[in-house]
Amino acid sequence: MTEFLKRLLKTPQGAIGTFLVVLVLAIVVFGPMIAPYDPEKLSPLARYKGPSAAYWLGTDQYGRDIFSRLLIGARATVVMAVFATIAGTLIGALIGTASAFLGGRADELIMRTIDAVMSIPSLLFALLVVNLLGSSTINALVAVAIAFAPGMARITRSVALSVRKQDYVNAAIARGESSAYIIRREMLPNVIAPIIVEMTIRVSFAVMLFATLSFLGLGAQPPAAEWGLMVSEARRYMHMSAGILIWPSVAIAIVAVGFNLLGDGLRDALNPRT
Amino acid sequence: MSNTENRPVLSPVLAIENYSLDYETANGPFHALKNIDLAINRGEILGLVGESGSGKTSLAWSIMRYLPKNAREPGGKILLGGDNLLEKSEREMQTFRGRRISMVFQDPSTSLNPTLSLGTQLAEVLVRHRGLTRQQAWKEGEERLAHVGLRTPAQMMHRMPHEASGGEKQRVVIASAFACNPECIIFDEPTTALDVITSRQILDLFVELQAETGVASLYISHDLALVARTAGRVAVIKRGDIVEQGTVREIFTNPQQEYTRELIAAVPDPAHRLVKDDVVDTDKPLVKVENVSVHFGRKSFLAALTGRKTDRVTGNNAISLSVNPGEILGIVGESGSGKSTLAKAMTGLNRFEGKIWFDGREIRNLGDMDNAYRKDVQIIFQHPDASLNPRQKIFEILSRPLKLFGDGSDLEKQVGDMLEQVRLPRTHASRYPHQLSGGEKQRVAIARAFASKPKLVICDEITSALDVSVQASVVQLLLELQKASGTAYLFITHDLNLIRQIAHRIAVMYRGDLIEVVKADEIDSPDRADYTRRLIEAVPRAAAQYQ
Amino acid sequence: MIVYTLFVVSLIVFAITQILPADAAVMMLGENATPEALDALRQTMGLDAPIWQQYATWLWHVVQGDLGTSLRTGQPVGPAMFEALGRSLLLALLSIGLMLVLAIPLGIIAAIRRGKIADMVVSLISYAGVALPEFVTATIAVLVFADWMKWLPPTGYVPLTEDFFGGIAHLVLPVCVISIILIAHVSRMVRSELVDVLHTDYIRAARLKGLSRGHVLRRHALRNALLPTITIVALDVGYLLGGVIVVEEIFAIPGIGRQLIVAIQARDLPAIQAGVLIMAATYSIVNFIADILYAWLDKRIQYD
Repeated sequence: MTEFLKRLLKTPQGAIGTFLVVLVLAIVVFGPMIAPYDPEKLSPLARYKGPSAAYWLGTDQYGRDIFSRLLIGARATVVMAVFATIAGTLIGALIGTASAFLGGRADELIMRTIDAVMSIPSLLFALLVVNLLGSSTINALVAVAIAFAPGMARITRSVALSVRKQDYVNAAIARGESSAYIIRREMLPNVIAPIIVEMTIRVSFAVMLFATLSFLGLGAQPPAAEWGLMVSEARRYMHMSAGILIWPSVAIAIVAVGFNLLGDGLRDALNPRT
Repeated sequence: MSNTENRPVLSPVLAIENYSLDYETANGPFHALKNIDLAINRGEILGLVGESGSGKTSLAWSIMRYLPKNAREPGGKILLGGDNLLEKSEREMQTFRGRRISMVFQDPSTSLNPTLSLGTQLAEVLVRHRGLTRQQAWKEGEERLAHVGLRTPAQMMHRMPHEASGGEKQRVVIASAFACNPECIIFDEPTTALDVITSRQILDLFVELQAETGVASLYISHDLALVARTAGRVAVIKRGDIVEQGTVREIFTNPQQEYTRELIAAVPDPAHRLVKDDVVDTDKPLVKVENVSVHFGRKSFLAALTGRKTDRVTGNNAISLSVNPGEILGIVGESGSGKSTLAKAMTGLNRFEGKIWFDGREIRNLGDMDNAYRKDVQIIFQHPDASLNPRQKIFEILSRPLKLFGDGSDLEKQVGDMLEQVRLPRTHASRYPHQLSGGEKQRVAIARAFASKPKLVICDEITSALDVSVQASVVQLLLELQKASGTAYLFITHDLNLIRQIAHRIAVMYRGDLIEVVKADEIDSPDRADYTRRLIEAVPRAAAQYQ
Repeated sequence: MIVYTLFVVSLIVFAITQILPADAAVMMLGENATPEALDALRQTMGLDAPIWQQYATWLWHVVQGDLGTSLRTGQPVGPAMFEALGRSLLLALLSIGLMLVLAIPLGIIAAIRRGKIADMVVSLISYAGVALPEFVTATIAVLVFADWMKWLPPTGYVPLTEDFFGGIAHLVLPVCVISIILIAHVSRMVRSELVDVLHTDYIRAARLKGLSRGHVLRRHALRNALLPTITIVALDVGYLLGGVIVVEEIFAIPGIGRQLIVAIQARDLPAIQAGVLIMAATYSIVNFIADILYAWLDKRIQYD
């Protein structure tokens, strides 16, 4: 484990990515404890304030402390994105592995269908699902998970198929190992690594997808401190103070870049041969 | 310098003087070449022999001035016709490469651009160095292709690389190397990627063209037997050092260095049999393969919908052969002859039609291959990198068959014993495959196959990814294990010299068909099938004439 | 292929719109309609038939080119959607054009200057490019270029036929916003493809024939490296269409994305069905063309 961390931190992408993601996760865990103000407390007298000692990042259109809102909104934004990605990955991995394992006609049918589903843009797919289930954070999570599943299924299948062709799997088959053992011990450890990489990178897309859903009014609802919603609400008041718009944007960017870099770093670190 | 007055005559075309090359790495400089001294005269072929990592290819890049950025040259000269190439600018070198010095590469399927026609790739050299127009170059190209023995040069010019065979492609590469009548040509393992018969033809073409043009040739190879056939002088390189050089006769009759002796000893010599012919033909063979056929290809979903016909490719065509208990049966053939397909069918990795009899039991399909059969029939693959799971430690890899087939008790000790059996330290159990060398990995794969105490081990080209000396020691190990356990081997290889040393009988395969099965010592008899005779003729004999 | 894709999409769309808690009859007659009137309307609309029958009827109409009637406007959905699609395609094509013009050179520069400053700058751009969702970049772009600088109009759409330069001015920001993520992604792909190609044996062989760096790059490397880009761009069209939805919403461009958002918010089932179907068809057609183009350019795979 320590050896793995060393490898991860050796590349600049891995190091910066790990730093940013750890920072974000720390905020997710401890954010509400260190937030200096109540994120929903209105202060009509302190609206559109710039950064100051009292309000580190200034205040918004209702005089709420932006810093506190960001600290608390991290949970809504990041946790949801991570869960949605994990859920989407699990569904996709299941379909992809099954398809690769079944092979033949079934594989072809499943993959053609996945292709067809992927012809609907994932944002549109998410919009349809949220619309179907009603706008709420949990429904947005389900929507993003479903929107991600086909892509992950495709990736899992192609990785599984290439691992399936390796001679160590052939050796196990020739040895008379059970399918369960081959999948669990020979294939999975080699399939999981690239999937984890892809999943990490996709968290950043999930964050952006959530933000976009909130922006279109189909994700988190006011007065929640979700970052996408904050940007969306800031649009009408951005002429008064650019800070309301900029800070949540920066927060989204940090998460997105962090997970992207971490994914690239993991790609190198998880390769056993380098 | 006694022959100073003769210098203009004897001055070599290519002279490397006290040349060294380092690569800068994170762990300090790596000395790739150390004080190399070599000279090649006009009309001469110098063979450069070394194993992987010996620096032989680095030397080729140095001469071509095509070095990676981390290369450093502490000293020395590389003289081409008296010009020190180390002092030439990149621009000057561009006018030299292809015109004064050119190169033929190992694998024609990767050294030709897959998306440009063969003609384009030949003609661009002529346009570049001889100032021809495109039309002129194309016409000249056709002549050049005719000259390298291609029968339909005009059509060949228009073909894409994937439309030509490996031999045809290598001829095109050779034609471009000779296109501008260079002073010197470097041949970097030009036949290694080709089949036996094709590689013999390419070698003949090379010797012919070389004699005709008198070009100074540096022939790089790992194969001492091959070099001995073509080169006049041989230089042996080991870890960046030229350990010995001299005429082929000197090297073979009176090697000065231990390493050279080892290399010579490692070359398989069919006259020197390594097994006793004590296996009697019984009427109760261990395995009998009866009319086994393998077909590939399945109608795709789309093809089924559109009713398009799909070709079924035949991998094996009604093969029948048998292996006796304790026998080593060799299977030889070129790539695509169906050797590995048969191995896969016998180990349940391919569907097959026909019957396999094992120890008196009939096996008609994969379902009949029960645990007992799996235990008795083991397979070892060509590339240990691919056959050992990179995410499992050696302990886990080796303990698995013990759990499946053995009693599974005291795995620690048993795995250690297995490692010792294949001459590896017990401590290797805690390592991952990528921490082992190629030869060590293949030993682990052998240990895994022998863990279940099998009656038949199928060796699928298990030595061809290894260096000559490593190959010899792996073969030695296999023979010792065989002597100790009486296991029968099905030994698949394309190396005829090797198989003639170790097999009792040899099966020859060609394009999915079994040509014949003959006793190993009778394979060079004139009564053999036509194809077998061509195969035997094509193989470079170890330089027996010198031994 | 396309037929199967559209069939699956039609199933999905129909399934989703069927589960949507919206009753078309209620929507048309309003909440206060009498149950008798609702029943009568349901009967005329065929809503009382079994689901599969409704689907078959709908599909049959679609195949004949009749995409249904909007519940919101009472107008046929087809003509309105296709008119909107035209505007969206203009936006999408301009974005792809801008992306190709920038992403390919960036990728090439990064690959041939690998490990140098230029490479790092390009990779910084590509990380920055995927950092923000379109609606954020769009909002910031409007704030900076329209509100502060006053260089460009903030929102709105002017047909090019009416006022060419005005139309273009309105399109600059949307096109740039859509392209950013695509540029980041495609330039990265071009870079990694070209780096791979530059490390192949045949590139080395070509250099050792005495051909110059530039010649080898132009004649040997670029062609092979850019071929896979066709597929990547085609797959990115899915992402592009998603971006179009958001950008049209922000910049108030009456394209198909905006129509879809309106339809989804109003639960206008026939319009949703038609819009999604058209989007999926666009994506499939682009990918189909890309496959053919690829096979045409790469003679190797003709025999597949």
